Amino acid sequence: MVWLQLLVNGLVTGSALGVVAISFALIYATTKIFHVAHAGVYTLAGYLAWSLVSHGVPDVLALLLAILCCTALGALIQHQLYARLERRRATHLVVLIASLGALAVIQNVIAAVYSSNILQFPVPWSSRVVTVGTLRLNWAQILTVVLSVLAYAGTMWFAHRTILGKQIRAVASNPFLAEITRLRPQRIYVIVVAIGSAIVALPGVLVPLDLGLQPYGGVTPLLTATIAMIAGGVGSITGAFVLAVGIAVLQNLSLLVIPGEWSIGVTFFIFVIFMLFRPTGLFAKAR
Amino acid sequence: MLLQLTGVAAGYGPKTVISDIALAVEPGQIVALLGHNGAGKTTTLRGIMGLLPLRAGAIAFDGKALDRVGVADRVAMGLRLLPEGRGIFPDLTVAENVEVVAARNIGPEATFGIADVYKLFPVLDERRATRAGSMSGGQQQMLAMSLAMLGTPRCLLLDEPSIGLAPNLVERMFQQVQQVCRSHGMAAVLVEQNVAAAMRIADRVVIMNNGQIVFDGSPDEARASNVWHYF
Repeated sequence: MVWLQLLVNGLVTGSALGVVAISFALIYATTKIFHVAHAGVYTLAGYLAWSLVSHGVPDVLALLLAILCCTALGALIQHQLYARLERRRATHLVVLIASLGALAVIQNVIAAVYSSNILQFPVPWSSRVVTVGTLRLNWAQILTVVLSVLAYAGTMWFAHRTILGKQIRAVASNPFLAEITRLRPQRIYVIVVAIGSAIVALPGVLVPLDLGLQPYGGVTPLLTATIAMIAGGVGSITGAFVLAVGIAVLQNLSLLVIPGEWSIGVTFFIFVIFMLFRPTGLFAKAR
Repeated sequence: MLLQLTGVAAGYGPKTVISDIALAVEPGQIVALLGHNGAGKTTTLRGIMGLLPLRAGAIAFDGKALDRVGVADRVAMGLRLLPEGRGIFPDLTVAENVEVVAARNIGPEATFGIADVYKLFPVLDERRATRAGSMSGGQQQMLAMSLAMLGTPRCLLLDEPSIGLAPNLVERMFQQVQQVCRSHGMAAVLVEQNVAAAMRIADRVVIMNNGQIVFDGSPDEARASNVWHYF
């Protein structure tokens, strides 16, 4: 029953990746900024929680404080970096390079303050294993799936049921009209990057509970999340989440037939297939 | 005087599109701004909204100079624009379109509320849950018109509002605009290709050619004069 364990592992990894994907999709669809520094925010969340837990802060409080710090960092990046560049009429390429710069700064600061080695979370409960039949899962993995699905449901509720969520979707849909109907797009951009950063802090803390922390560990998840967003249809939260889960499951199941070092290759293979047969994405809306 | 332009010039990049524009709009007045494609009508509207910096001249609204007033504040003062062809949020439902604009623009004494939208365009009421971008062009334009009017518009800038609408609907929509202008002292600047329909509700006709105003007078004077070779 190796395939069943791989399937479940894929669902665990995929649900966390799905949350990275919806947070990135929310930011990208609204601001049109390819916010690569998001990988840094994701990584920082884990390190912040690690520091707090190491100093005796209760686990739940550490998670909430890490989310809060990432929210502030996201708002800061939009307000002090992207918005300033936009006011100077910077092109998308310039903003992307600025974002890469911010990512490098965050990663290097983390590597300098902590170390470039893998750090394990000092929380013994997270690695305790639950066995169901032949399936083995630890508590970190179970918590990851449960909280990720809740984060997806919460994001959907927020985007479609709250007035702020609707305003964000309005700005994403037609920024020009948003400007002349006083929706204040610039303010919405700060809010959406802050919210996206809060959301990504959740997997940022949960995934290292199981796999440990690394300063440069955020880039591969973000890359996969980006692919999930594009293949799912830019602007679709459900598309990004479902595709992230699907990619992670296929990556894991591919271990049955091809070696593990090809897993990123598998991701790109899925991406190419999608771009050939469904270039606007699986969940893209008809224009 | 509600809206006053004096010696306004504006343009894009190295090109000055409009120059020496003088225009005065009184409360309750409907001004038809006509002219061939590229005459500078849309550029004039963009200048009034603050979407384009002025290269010369000044604009005053309700006696207040607008040179240091941003787009959002101009909207708050009651200057509202119906942009040509992109006046809706296509990915939101009809009800969500109305809701997001209403939330930011409807005050206690709004002249045009959510109920008025559905009363004026019953088809939008039936389509509340429909994604706006999937509706017909005419229905999209009705929604765009509604969004431009939600709240307390004091001067409506309409850029080709009749595009995609059936003739009887154009008449009805223009009558509604005229009615709000009469009852609430709202002014309107109407840029239209449908010259006949625009002339029927206009109090004044202004004709532009090559970025300049070449005629400014009553509809009767316009009909009598030989300005039609500009079209």
